[in-house]
Amino acid sequence: MRDGRQLEAEVEALLADESHADHPLHKALAGLYTEFQARLHQIERITQISDHYQSVTREASLSLSDRYAKQLRQLQKIARISDRYQLIMRDLNQALRTASITDTLTGIGNRRMLMESLKAELARTNRMKRTFSIAVVDIDRFKAVNDTYGHDAGDKVLTEIARTIETDMRDYDTCGRWGGEEFLVIMPEIAAPAAAQAIERLRNSIRALRVVIGDHVVEVSASFGIAEYRADENLSALINRADAALFAAKRAGRNRYEVAS
Amino acid sequence: MNNLKIEGTQSTPAVSCDMDTGIVEMRGDSYPENSYELFSPILNWLDDFLKTGGRPLRLKLHLLYLNTSSVKAIMDIFDLLEEAHGKGFDVGVNWYYDQQNERVAELAEEFREDYTFPFDIIAQVE
Repeated sequence: MRDGRQLEAEVEALLADESHADHPLHKALAGLYTEFQARLHQIERITQISDHYQSVTREASLSLSDRYAKQLRQLQKIARISDRYQLIMRDLNQALRTASITDTLTGIGNRRMLMESLKAELARTNRMKRTFSIAVVDIDRFKAVNDTYGHDAGDKVLTEIARTIETDMRDYDTCGRWGGEEFLVIMPEIAAPAAAQAIERLRNSIRALRVVIGDHVVEVSASFGIAEYRADENLSALINRADAALFAAKRAGRNRYEVAS
Repeated sequence: MNNLKIEGTQSTPAVSCDMDTGIVEMRGDSYPENSYELFSPILNWLDDFLKTGGRPLRLKLHLLYLNTSSVKAIMDIFDLLEEAHGKGFDVGVNWYYDQQNERVAELAEEFREDYTFPFDIIAQVE
């Protein structure tokens, strides 16, 4: 394969040669060569930002074909680098998304996550005509733990309870921290009786927790309000019923669950 | 010739070009609506600086996200440096990245490919 510069020199020499001026191919070759230069110029304008810069390039020493090849390499490099940036951006977005639905203290899902899950569960249930239940979980006398042992201790208790809830519940249940000392569990495909059984197991697990705080061993318990979704109920109503059941559990002596009517 | 100073914005980097020290710093994200408007003055400044003959030039880049036209523009700048380097000028680039973000270092290596002037990729603890 002859080098580009040689070919161009040949073409220019042939076009300049008077004796070829009337050759049938002359006009076509001249047109093609002009077009070739114009295309190259176009590509250079795409790959370079600054018009000014073009006056500085040492293009004069390169053949047209070499300049063309150079611009192609430049374009490929730009595409590769741009792809890398986009991968970084995508991962950043993913990390941000995860952070936005995670409770920083316990690592469990946060309220935003719970709301999204509740909405999704509601939509699914209405479509499939199934059921689901929720339970609000409230730590009994949590304030006393903070007051007696300090806030770091309280944080440790919260974290261990979060772990216990996650461990006890099934993989397709959704658990999250609803507020200060409150958690919420979403149980798909589960009616109130089965939900109550699951929550009773959780109640025992929490009661059996022994949280070590320095020289002390702290025990806790939790109260639970369970509500099974009623057809065409909205989320607000469902949560209110669960809250009312929780309130009843507290009033009845704590460390127990109540099922909403 | 004068120093060049461009304020950074949400979508464009802060730029400072100092003709006494020969140091050009760029810092931040770059996704300008019009990359010509942003980079043309910088290229002009670099060109003028190199014409004043022989003083060392150092680019210190603390760049985060570059949109595609900014990638092109940075490569324009590097091409300029490569040409100067070929003529024997003292030019170089320091590309700084957050130590926790190795991928930006890999990215800088892609940029560096094909260039022969000094191009250091430097980790920073942030």
